[in-house]
Amino acid sequence: MAFLKVEDLKVHFPIKGGLFNRTIGAIKAVDGVSFEIEQGKTYGLVGESGSGKTTTGRAIVGLNEITEGKITYEGEELNIKGKAIDPRRDIQMIFQDPYSSLNPKKRVLDIVAEPLRNYEKLSRKEERQRVHELLEQVGLSPESILKYPHEFSGGQRQRIGVARAIALKPKLIIADEPVSALDVSVQAQVLNFMQDIQKELNLTYLFISHDLGIVKHMCDEIGIMYKGRYVESGTKQDIFNSPQHIYTKRLVAAIPDIDPKKREEKKQFRQEVQTEYEQSYNDYFDNEGLAYGLQSVSDTHLVALPEKG
Amino acid sequence: MESKEIKLDDTQHVATKSPSGFSIIWREIVRDKIALVSLILLVLITSFVYGISLFLNQDEIVTVDLFAIHEPPGEDFLLGTDYGGRDIFGQLIIGTRNSLSIGILVTLMTGVIGVLYGLVSGYFGGTIDNIMMRIVDFFLILPFLMIVIVFVAIVPKYSVLSFSLIMTAFLWMGIARLIRSKALQEKELDYAQASKTLGSSNLKIMLTQVLPNLSSLIIVTMTLNLAANIGLESGLSFLGFGFPESTPSLGTLLSYARNPQTLEYRWWIWVPAAVLILVLMLSVNNVGQALKRATDARQRRG
Repeated sequence: MAFLKVEDLKVHFPIKGGLFNRTIGAIKAVDGVSFEIEQGKTYGLVGESGSGKTTTGRAIVGLNEITEGKITYEGEELNIKGKAIDPRRDIQMIFQDPYSSLNPKKRVLDIVAEPLRNYEKLSRKEERQRVHELLEQVGLSPESILKYPHEFSGGQRQRIGVARAIALKPKLIIADEPVSALDVSVQAQVLNFMQDIQKELNLTYLFISHDLGIVKHMCDEIGIMYKGRYVESGTKQDIFNSPQHIYTKRLVAAIPDIDPKKREEKKQFRQEVQTEYEQSYNDYFDNEGLAYGLQSVSDTHLVALPEKG
Repeated sequence: MESKEIKLDDTQHVATKSPSGFSIIWREIVRDKIALVSLILLVLITSFVYGISLFLNQDEIVTVDLFAIHEPPGEDFLLGTDYGGRDIFGQLIIGTRNSLSIGILVTLMTGVIGVLYGLVSGYFGGTIDNIMMRIVDFFLILPFLMIVIVFVAIVPKYSVLSFSLIMTAFLWMGIARLIRSKALQEKELDYAQASKTLGSSNLKIMLTQVLPNLSSLIIVTMTLNLAANIGLESGLSFLGFGFPESTPSLGTLLSYARNPQTLEYRWWIWVPAAVLILVLMLSVNNVGQALKRATDARQRRG
């Protein structure tokens, strides 16, 4: 039994318009996505903006209503359609924007203690103690307990967000581009820290990102999304060593290389991939520009290719 | 040279400890001299009026005294008397107290109703919002003045409270709409969404997460509404749809000026009330404007 299993997930947003505000269409933000995550592993969801990766994550925590499909967590179905959101203490989320995800009118103590107040009946002293521990765990000084969010830098704010997410000792954390709003130096800090607590608490991450470099560093398995569908999924080795889909190839080619000697070589490689992408676009995408269904290449490696024959 | 160093020290102090909401408001008011004078005037008038009215007997003041009709200001009567021989000074004090009380009561009641209504409407959105806003639209198209006139005719005993309730019934929509539009924006922000994933109930998110972020808007709107409500009460009383003469207010005093004789020859009856209305409304407005600037860092002067 998989830890988290997403089967044929669809999240469509209605387009209202016309007479009497009827539903005249749908934006297919997520259109048939399936994947599985094992406990303790990190699963990377990669794609350009608008590809539906964040919507997938939000559907799992229950912030977006599911149109079709099934999400099972430890054998239990989550966020059944038509029900109000059903927050789980085992599943928490780290938000993309460290500025808007913390209430500017609340002290750090209140922000980090919010989940504790909802789920655990602690005395004031115990609560303070726990918040102290959490802040220490994320590397913030315990004196900051009475400060407001605007008194911190972006990286520190993201750590407060992480402290809040791990306060309930969850098993699954959905990290929605947790570092894309941060400086590169701070990115590394937060990412290493996330890996440390993963080992410490045996966390499972669903890591949503557009940055393949970070994904390579963090993830065991990777799914690549394009326009709401999967184009390729597999282990880290599958994706980075033998990308099969032209879209993935292009993404992998775009990872910057720091070696200046290879600069020309890299540039040429990128141009080659670009021409290949332009020439073979119609072989990989259907008439609407969407990816085909997934075909398996190996046990772990799935690629969206047109059915042969 | 020395003063520069002190200033530097000051900014360092600010940087280590960010100023609280009250100190920002205070700085803004001190920087804006007009607002500062307005605030001092307001505090003085309010404390004076409420203080003195404790020692005045309303029934005694509004008792007709035929031997003292239309006395000009003098030793017996500080501000003279009206056509019933009633002391204007006493009426002015009690009238100001009544007008202020109504203004404050109406502002508070419309504030509470409007904020809660707008918060629920904006937070839940969708169909609930649609229905609630149509109810607001319905109240907005009711002819306020006509209904107040009818109420004045029906309600037998008119008190500060019943008058406030009638006004409240027609004045809560503005603030409800304002709060609703802000709540609509606020609930989409990540911190409200994060609260949901952390297991907070909708009620809790509304009251403890969204409401504090609307506080500055609420304070500013309510202050500016206070000025408007004092004016509205005076206007209604002036037209004769407010208090009867047995319950003095600034508006009833002003309405004596409808008599051309009084208007031309007996200035002491209506001028003080008119000046007080002007001063009160302007002062409250000035303080409100300063508060408004304090909530927006780009407009601050302090």
